[in-house]
Amino acid sequence: MRITPYRSAFVTGARTASAEPIEFALRPLFLVVILMVYESLWGVVIEGAGGIVASYDYRAIIWYVVAAQAAVIGIIPRQIEEIGDDIGGGTIAVEMLRPVSVVLFRIAAGLGDALVRSGSAFVIGAAFVTVTVGPPPSATAVLLALPAMALAVIANMVSQYAFGGAAFWIEDAKGAWFLYQKLIFIVGGMLIPLEFFPGAFETLAHYLPFWTMAYVPGRLMAGHFEPWLIVIQLAWIAVLFPLATLIFRSGERRMQVVGG
Amino acid sequence: MAVIEARQLSKSFPGRGRKAAPVEAVRDVTFSIDAGERIAYIGPNGAGKSTSIKMLTGILHPSAGAATVLGYVPWTERRHLAQRIGTLFGQRSQLWFQLTPRQAYRLLGDIYGLTRAEAASRVDELGLLLEATDLFDRQVKGLSLGQRMRCELAASLLHSPEVLFLDEPTIGLDLVAKQRFREMIVRLNEEKGTTVFLTSHDVADIEHVARRVIVINHGHVIYDDRVSTMRRSILSHKLLEVRFDESPGVLDIAAVEILKHSGLGYKLIVDTTVRSIKDVLDELLDRFVVGDISVEDPPLEDVIGNIYESPER
Repeated sequence: MRITPYRSAFVTGARTASAEPIEFALRPLFLVVILMVYESLWGVVIEGAGGIVASYDYRAIIWYVVAAQAAVIGIIPRQIEEIGDDIGGGTIAVEMLRPVSVVLFRIAAGLGDALVRSGSAFVIGAAFVTVTVGPPPSATAVLLALPAMALAVIANMVSQYAFGGAAFWIEDAKGAWFLYQKLIFIVGGMLIPLEFFPGAFETLAHYLPFWTMAYVPGRLMAGHFEPWLIVIQLAWIAVLFPLATLIFRSGERRMQVVGG
Repeated sequence: MAVIEARQLSKSFPGRGRKAAPVEAVRDVTFSIDAGERIAYIGPNGAGKSTSIKMLTGILHPSAGAATVLGYVPWTERRHLAQRIGTLFGQRSQLWFQLTPRQAYRLLGDIYGLTRAEAASRVDELGLLLEATDLFDRQVKGLSLGQRMRCELAASLLHSPEVLFLDEPTIGLDLVAKQRFREMIVRLNEEKGTTVFLTSHDVADIEHVARRVIVINHGHVIYDDRVSTMRRSILSHKLLEVRFDESPGVLDIAAVEILKHSGLGYKLIVDTTVRSIKDVLDELLDRFVVGDISVEDPPLEDVIGNIYESPER
């Protein structure tokens, strides 16, 4: 397999991430707004709990939020819905006329875009909380958290293509998007760390891939030096990536585009 | 040598609803196209044109039948085939709206395995051929439709394809842009020997680009002959819309029939197998006080209607 087309797609995706400066700036600014809300909210909760909840103190939980949110908001909103529209509307059909894998090319371009967006959101979010709550709790854990954020974006991207590929069989991917969004929010740990859930629910969340997309970078950024979390991210990517490829390969074979 | 062969190619889609019967979009389509030919593959909406193209380019798997393009079975060897064919869908873009065409060509060059030097040289060559060099450094989203279509054509030709599939390439273009586009396709065919497979609803596309026409309707091939033959046998009429400044009285002109009239406005049909359109126009302008006049081809649906009505079909 030739690597050059996918590398070029990645680079192009990264370069075009800031093509619309206002739209590009909106997501990091939105993260700052979220952080302001979370700082007020968690300030009350942590203080009420005596300064620590499930191993997170105030500074740790805010840094958790920065990493978990930045990892997720790099990927364009409603991407699964867009994938579905592109399958149903014939855009994918045109892309099938290139001598490359449609799904790999799309994932490469999407990752270029998402990593730049996540990175910029993290930089702005991190600068904000450094001023408001102080530096991250552990410098060594940050060294794990940064690659974990990139892996979270990759896991999320390939997982969205696996979900979005359902549009080859069902007509409307809106339902898939709605479900996916909720799963990332709750069992992915984007809203709150998984330790805050009841035991059985937390255990269930660990059997699903979504916690690798928000919780893992959040947990590491909060100061927990747990390298095995990165191994789990890699393992899930090793499952989700072939799954997305298989779904698209199978879907392309049964493509039913009617008309021009 | 045949570059495209279809043998009893058929495609049916599942019907809407559980008990609905399958829809047969293409039925037993058979034809053979030699290298360097310019084919118009025409038919009304829903006739099966786009479905045929999608099977021949490998997007769709057929329900039955066989086809090869440049020796490849399109739906099993799609990526190999994609390396040697170009495609242009009038209603779809293969460029990226955030990029300039030149940036897109660089990416497409990587996709098709061209070196940067090869891609740059090819872009220069296409810029001259399509008279589009000045468009290549503008953002795609800032181009007019006609300008964008020239850039789209360059994208389709970047890897020097041997066969070019064009699906409604002139849709939405103004008259000047359409004519320019047609001239480019013909020049490409004549200079490079590229086989052209064109679908269009526009009779002028067929007349100006194609040498051979295949008509498909209800999924069947119902006509396959040279355009010159079709022109003689079927495109035997022109429509005239005339607005007289004074009442023409009795409009008795040889080979001309009145289709309808209202006040001083007349819609006429001219049998061009009996008299040339020039003769008729000369007589009209000599004998009557004409305020405005236009000449049109009959709509494609009428042409196909004529093919259907023809007793030998």
